[in-house]
Amino acid sequence: MNRVWPAVAAAALVVVAGLAASPRGALHLGIVAACALAVAALVWTVTGGVERPGGRDPQAAAAVPRSGAPPAPDVLQTAVSPAAADAGSGRAGGNTRGANGAALGLAGIVDALPVGVIALGAGGRIDVFNAAAGDIFGVSPERARGRALIEIVRNSELDRRVAATIREGARDTAAITHLTSGAERHLVVTTLPHPALGPGGVLIIVSDTTRVRELEAVRREFVSNVSHELRTPLTAVKLMVETLQSGVDKAAREQFLSSIAQETERMIALVEDLLDLARLESGKLELRLGRVDVGEVCRQAVRAQEARAQAGEVRLACELPAEGLEVTADRDKLSQVLTNLLDNALRHTPPGGNVTVRTYADGDTAVIEVADTGSGIPSTALAHIFERFYVVDPARARGRSGTGLGLAIVKHIVEAHRGSVSAESELGAGSRFICRLPRDLQIPAHGL
Amino acid sequence: MGRENFHRILDETQQNVLRMGSLVEEAIAKAVDALTRSDVALAEEILKADDYIDDLNVLIETNCLNLLALQQPMASDLRTIAAMLDIIIDLERIGDHACDIAQITKNLANEPLLRPPVDLPLMAAKAREMLREALDAFAHHDAEMAHKVPEKDDEVDRLYRRVFSELIQFMAKDPKAIGRASNLILVALYLERIADHSTNICERVVYMVEGVPKKLKRSVVEFNEFIAHSDEILSPHTEPAT
Repeated sequence: MNRVWPAVAAAALVVVAGLAASPRGALHLGIVAACALAVAALVWTVTGGVERPGGRDPQAAAAVPRSGAPPAPDVLQTAVSPAAADAGSGRAGGNTRGANGAALGLAGIVDALPVGVIALGAGGRIDVFNAAAGDIFGVSPERARGRALIEIVRNSELDRRVAATIREGARDTAAITHLTSGAERHLVVTTLPHPALGPGGVLIIVSDTTRVRELEAVRREFVSNVSHELRTPLTAVKLMVETLQSGVDKAAREQFLSSIAQETERMIALVEDLLDLARLESGKLELRLGRVDVGEVCRQAVRAQEARAQAGEVRLACELPAEGLEVTADRDKLSQVLTNLLDNALRHTPPGGNVTVRTYADGDTAVIEVADTGSGIPSTALAHIFERFYVVDPARARGRSGTGLGLAIVKHIVEAHRGSVSAESELGAGSRFICRLPRDLQIPAHGL
Repeated sequence: MGRENFHRILDETQQNVLRMGSLVEEAIAKAVDALTRSDVALAEEILKADDYIDDLNVLIETNCLNLLALQQPMASDLRTIAAMLDIIIDLERIGDHACDIAQITKNLANEPLLRPPVDLPLMAAKAREMLREALDAFAHHDAEMAHKVPEKDDEVDRLYRRVFSELIQFMAKDPKAIGRASNLILVALYLERIADHSTNICERVVYMVEGVPKKLKRSVVEFNEFIAHSDEILSPHTEPAT
C-alpha cells in the first residue's frame, strides 16, 4: 500500500491538533475539520482500502518533472497526475476505489487542505506540495515536485529550520516572515522529521497568518477608537460634575447640566451606533421588508433635519420623481440611511451652502443621491470614508464630529439590501453620496 | 568522484547559490527596513549575517573549482559552473551593499531624523524584485525570464534620478542636512548598483541556458552625470538631468 499519503495525513493531524490547542485555537478550527477529513480517509484506507498494485501509472510517470530527481516513491505518481487530483478532490471514497483509489483519495484530500503541506523525501526533494503551499509561496505545485526546497522557496529561515530538523530529528514550530512580490507574509511553520518519507524525510506544515495579523491590527485600532470616543465626553462630564460638586452659581450650574446632558446624548448615540453596527455585522439584524415609497422616506428624513439646516443656514431640498418610486426595503433602516447621510452632509456644509436629496429610477435600480456644497473629500480619503471611525481631517472635524460610524452603518444597511453605496467629491466644491438599491429585492425574510 | 557524485555536488552547489541568494535578498529587505525605521539593532544583525554570506561564497567557489579540476565537465555542466562562479561575485557585492546601507543606518542613528524620499523604498522594492526574478530564472534555468528582468532597470534608474534631485534640492534648502542627505544619496546609489548586479546575474543565466554569452540591455547611470547636472537640478522649473 502507498505508505506516504497516510503518513502525511497522520502527521498533519498531529501538527494541527497541536496548533488548535494554541491560543489561536479558533483560527485553526477549520484546519482541524479539514484534517479530520484526511484522517477519516486514512482510516478508510487502512481498514477497507484496496491495496495498490506496484506498477507505475504510465500517465503519471510521464509527468515526473525532472530527470535529475532521484527515484521517487509511488506517491510522486499520484501527486503529479491530473487524474489523481480530479479523483481525489471530486470523488474521494466510493468512485476512487479502483486499483489505486486509496492513495488518490488521500492525495486529493491533502491537496484540499487549507494549510500548506510540503513533504521532502529522499535527497531533500519535494514529494508533496499541496495547492495551499502553492498559493502561499506563489509557485505552481507541478513546478515544485521533484525539486529541492530552496529552488522553490527561497527563505533562509525556513531553510535553516528544515536543516535543523533533519540534523536534530526534532519537531519545531516558529513564526517566520516570507518576502513575496507584494508585501511580506507572516507564516507559522512546523517542521517535523518523518522517516516514512525516506532518509532525511521532513514534513512541513505552513499556516498563513497574514490576514489574522491584519484583522488583529483592525481590532486593536477599533478598541482604541471606541475608547477614545467614549473617554472624551466622559472626561468632560467628570470635570463638570467635579466643578458642580465644588459649588457654582445657578447660571453656571444650568450651563454645566445642559453640557452634561449633551455629552451624555453623544455617548448614547455612539453606543447605539455601535450596537447597530454590531447587529449589522453579525448578520443578526432582520430586515422587515415591505414596499416602501423612497420619495416619502426622503421627505420625512428631510423634514426631520429642517430645523437643524435652518440653524446652520443651509438650504435643504428634495428632488423627487413625480410618478413615485417604490423599492422592497426595510422602511426604518432606509430612513436611517437617509438620516445618516443628511447628518453627514449638514455637518460638512458651511452656512450659505446647499444639501440636496435626489431620487430617480435607473432600470431595475432605485438611486438615492445626497449632494452637498461642503468642503469636499480628498481623493486619497474617498476609499476609506465608509470605514468605521475614519475621519478625513481630524483637526477640521473637531467640535462637529459625529460618531464616526454613520457612513459605516449606511454601507452595511445598503449592502444588506443587496445594494451599493459610493461617494464622489471635489475638494472645495462638495460631495455626492450615491446609494443604489434593487427595486424588487427578493431575499428570504431571515436570510442576511 | 563518480558521475553520480559529480551531479550530487553540482546540485548541492546550485542550491547553495540559491541559499546565498535568499540571504542576500533578505539582507536588502532588512537593510531598507532598518533605514526607514532607524532600527540600529536590525542594522547590526545585517552586518553580522554577512559573515555567513561570505562563508557560503567561499564554499561555493571551492566546490566549483573542485568540480572543474577533478571532473573536467563539459557543455551545460561547464557553463553552469562558470555561471555560478560569476553569480556569486554579484551576490557577494549585493550583500556588501546591504551592509553599506546598514552601516549608514548606524551612522545616521545619532543625527536628527531625516525622512527618506518616498521614492527610495520604491526603488528598493524594484531592485529587490529584479534580484528575486534573476534568482528565479537561475533556479528554473529560465532564459526567457532572464531576458525580461533587465527591462526593469529603466524604472530603477528613473527613481534614482528623482531621489537624487529631491535630495540635492533638500540640501540646497537646508545646508545642515547635507551630511544626512548625502548618505541617503549613497543608499540610492547602492540600490541602483543592486539592480545592475541583478542584470549581470541574468546575463549569466542566459549564457548558462543558451550557451551564448550575451550583454543584456541596460541603462547605465553614472554618478558623475548627476554632479555635472547639479546646477540644472537646483534651478527652478527644470527637469532633473536625464
